[in-house]
Amino acid sequence: MSKETKKPFRQSMTEWRQFIYNPNSGEFLGRTAKSWGLILLFYLVFYGFLAALFTFTMWVMLQTLSNDIPKYRDRISSPGLMISPKPDTALEFYFNKSDAQSYAEYVATLRKFLESYDDSKQSQNINCTPGRIFDQNDVAVKKACRFNLSELGQCSGKEDKTFGYSKGTPCVLVKVNRIIGLKPEGEPRIQCASKEAGMVEINYFPPEGLIDLMYFPYYGKSLHAHYLQPLVAVQLAINSNSTKEEIAIECKILGSPNLKNEDDRDKFLGRIAFKVQMTE
Amino acid sequence: PVQNMTSKFPSGPLAKAAQVLARDGPNALTPPKATPEIVKFLKQMIGGFSILLWIGAVFSWISFGIQLAQGAESPFDNLYLGVVLALVVILTGIFAYYQEAKSTNIMASFSKMIPQQALVIRDGEKKELPADQLVVGDIVEIKGGDRIPADIRLIFAQGCKVDNSSLTGESEPQSRSCDFTHENPLETKNIAFYSTTCVEGTATGIVINTGDRTIIGRIASLTSGVGNEKTPIAIEIEHFVYLVAGVAISIGVLFFIISVSMRYKILDSIIFLIGIIVANVPEGLLATVTVSLSLTAKRMAKKNCLVKNLEAVETLGSTSVICSDKTGTLTQNRMTVAHLWFDNQIYSADTSEDQTTQPFDQSSPSWTALSKIVTLCNRAEFRPGQENLPIMKRVVVGDASETALLKFAEVILGDVMNIRAQNKKVAEIPFNSTNKFQLSIHKTDDPNDERFLLVMKGAPERILERCSTIMINGKEEPLDSEKAEAFQTAYMELGGMGERVLGFCHLYLPENEFPDTYSFDTDSMNFPTSNLCFVGLLSMIDPPRSTVPDAVSKCRSAGIKVIMVTGDHPITAKAIAKSVGIISATSETVEDIAKRLNIPVEQVNWREATAAVVNGMELKDMSSQQLDEILCNHSEIVFARTSPQQKLIIVEGCQRQGAVVAVTGDGVNDSPALKKADIGIAMGIAGSDAAKNAADMVLLDDNFASIVTGVEEGRLIFDNLKKTIAYTLTKNIAELCPFLIYIIASIPLPIGTITILFIDLGTDIIPSVALAYEKAESDIMNRRPRNKRKDRLVNEQLAIYSYLQIGIMQSVGAFVTYFTVYAEQGFLPSTLLGVRVNWENNAINDFEDSYGQEWYQRTYLQWTGYTAFFVSITIQQVADLIIRKTRRNSIFQQGNKVIWVGIFSQIGIALILTYGLGHVTALNFTPLRFQYWFVAVPFAILIWVYDEVRKLFIRRYPGSK
Repeated sequence: MSKETKKPFRQSMTEWRQFIYNPNSGEFLGRTAKSWGLILLFYLVFYGFLAALFTFTMWVMLQTLSNDIPKYRDRISSPGLMISPKPDTALEFYFNKSDAQSYAEYVATLRKFLESYDDSKQSQNINCTPGRIFDQNDVAVKKACRFNLSELGQCSGKEDKTFGYSKGTPCVLVKVNRIIGLKPEGEPRIQCASKEAGMVEINYFPPEGLIDLMYFPYYGKSLHAHYLQPLVAVQLAINSNSTKEEIAIECKILGSPNLKNEDDRDKFLGRIAFKVQMTE
Repeated sequence: PVQNMTSKFPSGPLAKAAQVLARDGPNALTPPKATPEIVKFLKQMIGGFSILLWIGAVFSWISFGIQLAQGAESPFDNLYLGVVLALVVILTGIFAYYQEAKSTNIMASFSKMIPQQALVIRDGEKKELPADQLVVGDIVEIKGGDRIPADIRLIFAQGCKVDNSSLTGESEPQSRSCDFTHENPLETKNIAFYSTTCVEGTATGIVINTGDRTIIGRIASLTSGVGNEKTPIAIEIEHFVYLVAGVAISIGVLFFIISVSMRYKILDSIIFLIGIIVANVPEGLLATVTVSLSLTAKRMAKKNCLVKNLEAVETLGSTSVICSDKTGTLTQNRMTVAHLWFDNQIYSADTSEDQTTQPFDQSSPSWTALSKIVTLCNRAEFRPGQENLPIMKRVVVGDASETALLKFAEVILGDVMNIRAQNKKVAEIPFNSTNKFQLSIHKTDDPNDERFLLVMKGAPERILERCSTIMINGKEEPLDSEKAEAFQTAYMELGGMGERVLGFCHLYLPENEFPDTYSFDTDSMNFPTSNLCFVGLLSMIDPPRSTVPDAVSKCRSAGIKVIMVTGDHPITAKAIAKSVGIISATSETVEDIAKRLNIPVEQVNWREATAAVVNGMELKDMSSQQLDEILCNHSEIVFARTSPQQKLIIVEGCQRQGAVVAVTGDGVNDSPALKKADIGIAMGIAGSDAAKNAADMVLLDDNFASIVTGVEEGRLIFDNLKKTIAYTLTKNIAELCPFLIYIIASIPLPIGTITILFIDLGTDIIPSVALAYEKAESDIMNRRPRNKRKDRLVNEQLAIYSYLQIGIMQSVGAFVTYFTVYAEQGFLPSTLLGVRVNWENNAINDFEDSYGQEWYQRTYLQWTGYTAFFVSITIQQVADLIIRKTRRNSIFQQGNKVIWVGIFSQIGIALILTYGLGHVTALNFTPLRFQYWFVAVPFAILIWVYDEVRKLFIRRYPGSK
């Protein structure tokens, strides 16, 4: 094949200019304004139609859904655990017990988190029978059970406004993820352990980290508007020799056969691990 | 001079020969430097497509590096992606290499010839030596049928004739003697060249050049100086790669700017940029194209076109000019009797390859007389042991004309050898160039007739000179001027058809003068050789193969110009060109017009002539502009008496016109032109190794008609590759859109890299290949060859239609499924917007959905989304496959069973991936609820209907923009 001879620069520039706007035929980028207009109109109509179609199908699909519970709940059968406060970065707490600034954020988070548990917010909640699943399937308006902050003892933030951070006994709240319709069996409780023995002493509120069955099941945001999930406060009394050291703590949910906590690949299924490092 | 030479190169002791051999090397042509296998192998991996994939792979690894350094969650996806891309290139390379190696092996089997032997006189002893042991100074003896073992200077020759066709292309045997007749070694009569054959006679000569220093060696080395051209399909693929790269980089940069202005981190934006670019790489296309090409190559091999280089498969399809050899390609490469003249009338004979009878009127007694002369005055004989072969296939000892006559007689009369035995030969004068006749005297097979029969054949005018009577309807009549005139007319007419004419006469010797015991002496010629009775003329030609005229007319309707390039005589060349249709019945050359108008050639307006016969001598004096003019202005061209170098010039001339040129050839002399051509086609049977080496394709049956099949397949694969690419490009958008939306709307990633790979290299591969089985939509042999500047493999229209219309529709369909899956699991579309950062943060263990549930584990849900997206694309790709099947015809107008295989495989693989491998974590698939398979079905139907409507418009209003 013969090589195309290179066009002189000036000629190719003129050709480009001609291509961008050709004054003779009124063509802009190789097409007339009318042609461009038609193309634009076509795509406007085409994409408009697609957008309408998309919206319509989505609308039809949403009509098939219930407002109260999701159609399928097979992707979360067993709950995970979560703590509050949750540090920004990873699940690692660093603070200096003599420096209020260093734990101010944790305290603020806890305070905010516990706001919805305040007695004033729980006026509509009822006192349920402890130790029993609170089944409300037949009731149209689902009631929420009262969770008394006093259950959290020293971690309720009432006596100690710093949740123990200033004393070197920081509180961490452990909660079980909300899952609609979940009914734990047995006597579920939270138990935490440190890998390093003797560095920390762990106290639970309510005692033994028990989670009362009366808070289950959950009926979903729209039906169960005032629902409060049960909390377990874990108070870490850090040994004074163990300051400046990173203490790894893992909390698990125990005592309930249908709440899983052992999965090699899934480190949040029924358990949570976090680290605490306190300085003075 | 002979004495000088012998003293210079004494044909002396063996030691001397060994010394010279050590100095000059063996007497063989150095084969063209074979590309090392490893280089061939690596070359498979750096083509246009492969480069794209390599860049994709490198980008993926860069991305992996960045993410790894950042400590991102799943950086290994990018590592795998890069590895897969590299693997695709390597595996496809291995496949292509294997395919081409296979073709090369088939060809290698052709070249296993028996080593040539030469009869050498060394140390005063005659001995047989392998020809490659010859050295300069050796004295060799050759005889009829031998191949000349080196360039030799003749010191003795008797009736020696050589066929120089392997050197000059001219098949007419040339006589050789010891006389120095010309300064130019190519013209002088006392040199015989390596690789030519001695047709008859004997000769002895001194070796003057061996191996690569021979004339043919020098021509062969021309080949290596000719560069290889890029194939048209390679250019198209390059164009496609530019297009894809342009789109990839534009979208990438656009979204880089968007993501930066959305306050993504620069490093993240770079990762997005790379992700977008890599997502545009069509991973499966390289493999698909290679497989499609090799399928076509296989199909072509079945039809006797063996393709050496996969890309050459398509080149024939874009061919616009074929420069064809005459001998052996267009013709049968054997002399055959074509016409007879007796009783003042011309009869035509059947010249087809498999004749068993001759249809012309054989009742005249003149024919009986003529047939007797043909049978008896002939020294050619069949090799024994061929009784079961068809006559035309039997091997004959004798020259081309005599062979033709022998076979002709055998077909009509039956056992010629028996007839000869019954008419015992008593004397004979063989043909020689002074007499220009051949004569023999026989006893007749009629027991009542004691007369001897003298039969003679030779150059017609010489034969006529010796005749005084002429046989008309079996009666001898005096040869008056009127009858002589009739002879002249017939002779001119047959000669004008490019045929070799022979005259035949006989004489019954009077019994009284030549009794039974008469002793004939051929030296003193004690018998009459004049006043004979003229019986008739026979004319012979190397006739065209019977399939060729049809093939030429097919080429013509396909818009391909067929140019004949031959070393033969212009008249013969023109006659063959006319009979096969290279020069059509109605068109005239300048000479024809001059003859018709009865004016000198110079006065003819050459623009009126559509045909041209150009002589090699004229070509020698032409400038390239003049040649261009000829190539431009004449649609039917024959080049006669051309040399190998001129063939190269002609090919270059055609290429200057912008044509894609195919060249056929068989000799070593053709190899430079074969290499220069866009596609060189060598002959499998007659072709030399050098020709096969230089060619891209080999015709296993040496038949021009096979080229037409190749053209058809080439055009078809081009059309089908277009479909394959359109099919592949479409889903590219459906794979890219999720990523773009993910960046802009910050939704959970709809489809992951690995899942995309499973589409590109899994479900879509078989359907893409199935498109290669698609039949032609309209008669592809009725349209002109594609214009390589305008008819691109992938043009903007195709890209826009795939990207902006069908691709977008697919994306919409897939997104509907994606949102449905998430909504039914608890995440309504409104909840999903803007959640990307929290969603991907593994420390957030209580991600709240639209119903108040808290999610710690979102990966499986995300994978379900991937699977749903994957399934939707697959379903819509079925629609895409159906619409891409045809470009103009409705799906109802054209079936293709392989497409069904494609569709079933696509769905089958998707089912296996989702349900069979849904539990394998690394693959990111989850078993999907069955209903999600149907969410995209309405969109698939929409795509199909939309495209049917488009095709309807195209059929209704063809040609509109």
